[in-house]
Amino acid sequence: MTRNTDTGDDSGDAVTDGGVAEEGQRSGFSPVAALNERFGSDFVESSQFWLPPFLLVGLFVYGAIIWNLLISLTDFTGFGTPDYSDLDFQMYSRALADSGFVDAAINTFILLVGFTLVTLALGLGLAILIDRNIRFENTFRTIYLLPMSLSFVVTAQFWAWMFNFNNGVINIVITSLGLGRVDWIGNPDIVLWAVMFALMWQFAGYAMVVFLAGLRAIPNEHYEAAKVDGASTVRMYWRVIIPQLKGSTISASVVLMVFALKAFDFLYSLVGGYRPPNGADILATKMVREAYANLNWAYASAVAITLFVMTLGIVGPYLYYQYNRGNL
Amino acid sequence: MGTLELDGVTKVFPDGDGEVVAVDDVDIEMRDGEFLVVVGPSGCGKSTTLRMVAGLETISSGEIRLAGQRVNDVKPQHRDIAMVFQSYALYPHMTVEGNMAFGLEESTELSDEEIETRVADAAETMGIAELLDRKPADLSGGQRQRVALGRAIVRDPEVFLMDEPLSNLDAKLRSEMRTELQRLQDELDVTTMYVTHDQTEAMTMGDRIAILNAGELQQVATPLECYHEPANRFVAGFIGDPSMNFFPVERDDETLVADVFDYPLSAPTLDDVGAVTDLTLGVRPEDIALAGDSSGEHTFSTVVEVVEPMGDENTVYLRFADAPEGETFIATVGGLQQVSAGDEITVEIPEETIHLFDGVSGEAVHNREIDE
Repeated sequence: MTRNTDTGDDSGDAVTDGGVAEEGQRSGFSPVAALNERFGSDFVESSQFWLPPFLLVGLFVYGAIIWNLLISLTDFTGFGTPDYSDLDFQMYSRALADSGFVDAAINTFILLVGFTLVTLALGLGLAILIDRNIRFENTFRTIYLLPMSLSFVVTAQFWAWMFNFNNGVINIVITSLGLGRVDWIGNPDIVLWAVMFALMWQFAGYAMVVFLAGLRAIPNEHYEAAKVDGASTVRMYWRVIIPQLKGSTISASVVLMVFALKAFDFLYSLVGGYRPPNGADILATKMVREAYANLNWAYASAVAITLFVMTLGIVGPYLYYQYNRGNL
Repeated sequence: MGTLELDGVTKVFPDGDGEVVAVDDVDIEMRDGEFLVVVGPSGCGKSTTLRMVAGLETISSGEIRLAGQRVNDVKPQHRDIAMVFQSYALYPHMTVEGNMAFGLEESTELSDEEIETRVADAAETMGIAELLDRKPADLSGGQRQRVALGRAIVRDPEVFLMDEPLSNLDAKLRSEMRTELQRLQDELDVTTMYVTHDQTEAMTMGDRIAILNAGELQQVATPLECYHEPANRFVAGFIGDPSMNFFPVERDDETLVADVFDYPLSAPTLDDVGAVTDLTLGVRPEDIALAGDSSGEHTFSTVVEVVEPMGDENTVYLRFADAPEGETFIATVGGLQQVSAGDEITVEIPEETIHLFDGVSGEAVHNREIDE
C-alpha cells in the first residue's frame, strides 16, 4: 500500500491517493458529501474524467507490479500456473546465494554510478564550451545531441562493429599507433567499461542539453560580477555558475540512472541474445534470461522486484526533493 | 590614488557588414574621490563606457588609465574595481555573507577571520547586519540593493562602477537610496563612476556630470554648470524637467525673428551672437514670467492650452496668440497663481534668461546671465 502511494506520485495529479481514502471514508453517512469535503468540492462530479485512466493505470501498472511481487514469493517455474498457497522469500535468499545475481547487481551499480557521473561531467563540459558564444553553436549542439535520437539497437550494433577485435575501427587505430589489440567485448574486465563508454557517447548530448538550458537561465551579470569580483574563469564556473546548476544536475542524473537500469536493450542488441558478454551481465539481462530462457518465473520476478526497488531508491528521493520545493 | 582617465576612448561594434560606433572618442578625467555621473538617453553609449572601464568590453581605440596605469589589456579580475549592476547580480546560491565575502576571497589573500570582520563592518555600514545568513531570494528589492552595494564597498577598491543601480527601486526608496549613496560615497571617498538615464540622479548626486549622446561626449561639468551654461542644445534640452523651450529664429539685424514673434536683442547679447544668423532661442520654463501688461520689449500675449497643477507649481502649456493650435511651449508658474485653460495671458521672456544656440551645429553661442 505504501508503495502504491509512492509510485502514484509519479503521475503527479490529484488522483494519486484517492483510492486509499475511498476505503476509509465509506463509513460516513453521506459518502459523496464526505468525499467532496475531503478532496475538494468537485471530487465526485469530476470522477468520470479521472477515474477511468486512474483504474486502467492502477490495474495494468501498479496491479502488475503487485502481481509480480506475489509471483516472486512463489516457487513458480516451467509451464503451468503459479501456486499462491505457499508464499515465502525463498527466491530472494536464493538470489543472494547466486554469484551470478550478485555479479549482475554489482555491475548494475557500477554502470549506474559510473555511467551517470561520467556522462554528467562530459555533458557539463560540452554545455560550458558550447555556451561560450562559439561559432556554429547550433550545428555543434545538433551534432552532440544526435546520438540521443538513435535507438539503442542501432548504437549497440555499430559500437559492436567498432569494438570488433579484428576489424573494429578502434583496434585498427590502436594497432596503427603501434599498440596491441584490445579485446573490448571478450575481456570480462573491460567489457563493462566499453559498454559504459558507448552509453556515455549516446547520452552525453542529452546531459549537455539539460545543462545548456540551466546555463541559459543564469543571467550574464553573474559571470560579469564574478569576473569583476576577481575570480578566474575556472573559479567563476566552480563557485558561481556550477552551483546554480543543481536543479539541472538532479533532473539529468535521475534520467541517466533510470536509463542505466534499462540498459538491457543495449546489451541485448550487442550480442543479439539474452546472454551478454561475460562481465557485462546486469540485473535487467539476468531477469529476462531467467524468465524466458530458463523459465524460472518466480526467480526472475524476484530479480525484477530488486530492480524495481533500486529504481524507487533513485526516483523516490528526487520526488521528495521536488515535493519539498513545491513542484509536485 | 584612484584617478581614472579616459583618453580618446572609442568602441566600435561590428553590425552585419558595417560598424556601429557606440562610444566615440570620449575624454574624461576623474580625480581621486570624485563622484562622476554619466548620463544620457538610452543607447547613448554610457553603459558601454562603464563596461569598458570595468574590462567587460574591449576598447577599440584610445586608452583607459586607472591610478595612472594603462589598463586596456588588464582583465577585469585584475583591475581594482567593484561594480554594482542594475540587476544587482547577487549569487542566488550564496548567503548575503557569502556574496559579500566572495570578492575578497577571490581577489585577496586575506585570512578567513579578516574577511569575516570586513564583511561584518561593511554589513554594519549598509545596515544589513541581521541579513547576513539569508539568501538573496528572501530579501526585498531594497535589501538586495543594499547587499549589492555592500558587496562593492567591502572590496575597498580604487574605483566604484555603478550601472543604473537605483532603477529597479520604487520612487520613494530610490530617493532614500540616492541620499544614502551620496553619504556613503562622501564617507568612503572612493572614485565613483555612476551611470544613469535619470537626470534627477545626475543633478543631485554627482560632483560632476558627463553627458553623452550618440556615443559622443557633450559636456563634462558640475550639475549647475550643465543646467545654466549648457555647452549645446542637446545638453540644454536633456538637463531640466520640464525641459527647455526651443524656438527656431533668424537674426535680422538687432531682432530675432520667429514665425509668430519678434525678439529684440541688446548689444551685449548681439556681441555673443556675432555673425551667426540661423539660431535657436532657448528659455527654461521657470524663467517665463507672467507679466501685468504688454508694455515691455519682451512681453508676448499667449493663450493657455493646458494646465497641469503640481501643487507647488503649475506647469502651463502656452501658445503664442498668432500660433496655430497645438504648437505650445511650457512655462511653470507658482502653485497659487490662478491660471486656467483658455485664458489669454501676457508673459515675459526676460532677456537675461535666454540661451542662444547655433541653429545648425547646436553649439551654445550665448548662455543666460547668472548673478554671482
